[in-house]
Amino acid sequence: MPSRTAIAGGSTPSDFKIIYQAIVDIFPLSLAVVPWGILCGSLAITVGLTPLQAQLMSLLIFAGAAQLAALTMMGAVGSLSSMFSSTFVISSRHLLYSAVFREHVRKSSLGLRCSIAFFLTDEMFAVTCAYMAKHKKFSAVYALSSGITFYVFWNVATFTGIVAGQHIPNLEHLGLEFAIAATFIAIVIPTIKNRSTLISVISSGVSAIVLSIFMKEYALIAATFIGMFCGYLTKEKSAINE
Amino acid sequence: MNDFWLALLGMTCITFTCRYFFFSTSVAFELGPKIKRLLSYTAPSVLTAMWVPIVFLGHQETNGDFITSPFLIAGVTTVIFSLKIKNTLAIVIFGMGVFGALKLFF
Repeated sequence: MPSRTAIAGGSTPSDFKIIYQAIVDIFPLSLAVVPWGILCGSLAITVGLTPLQAQLMSLLIFAGAAQLAALTMMGAVGSLSSMFSSTFVISSRHLLYSAVFREHVRKSSLGLRCSIAFFLTDEMFAVTCAYMAKHKKFSAVYALSSGITFYVFWNVATFTGIVAGQHIPNLEHLGLEFAIAATFIAIVIPTIKNRSTLISVISSGVSAIVLSIFMKEYALIAATFIGMFCGYLTKEKSAINE
Repeated sequence: MNDFWLALLGMTCITFTCRYFFFSTSVAFELGPKIKRLLSYTAPSVLTAMWVPIVFLGHQETNGDFITSPFLIAGVTTVIFSLKIKNTLAIVIFGMGVFGALKLFF
């Protein structure tokens, strides 16, 4: 196994090293969603979808929270419009991600832009941002390899849920989502290098807790905006250097 | 469900559109320096809005106590550890190790 310092130390790491790094970086996050993928697969069968339909949801929609919400609604005979509006609310944060990556991908070909967009998830955004912070540049190879790795995990987990969902104990209660917390902490905390980022992190964290009590569905996106604006509005000396 | 195919198509379009929207070359406007500065806080804000509820509200899922919750203890320990160590992988392994140990022993 090549050492991580060797990868980080190279000025122009080869594509192979970037792909390897991307897979290593997204691995804990991929592992953390396995229980939810299995749940998506088995819940889809429970609400009466065929195995093909269940797998197609993960293959095409590729958005865990939105899929789970939709499956719950299908089970309760929810309307299409409520399913669509909930999908939009849950997916709205991806608009922000695409805005963040915009300047890095807008000159790329349509095919590459579509591919990066298709694989753009919270997890891929997180590790790609961390990569950008470390290497001071965006890497399409990194973004795609981490995104595709995550996609494979999500779909294999869904497939497992479809085939064996009834025989698998509830893995959601294992607490594997802590891997998400640990990874995001590992990405966020070291990037707090100035007052405005600190304010942004604290305000979004506090509002995430408070808002999730009152309005669970909108809490994430609202807390994100609060954090962004609080960071933006914080005056700081280092801002002069930018 | 008869509407399934419509639901699948609609949801696929919605999620893809949200992910692709600002990649589109027909969205012509330039993102000014102010918007770019605002967007620079996206990653810390959104990731924090996701990890904080796991750490501080994780105990609700299992109906455990707040103060003895493995999510809380391991989460706070991971934050402290991440202030000292800058290696992402080391932090993740450390955090998962603490969490796993707490789960195992309590």
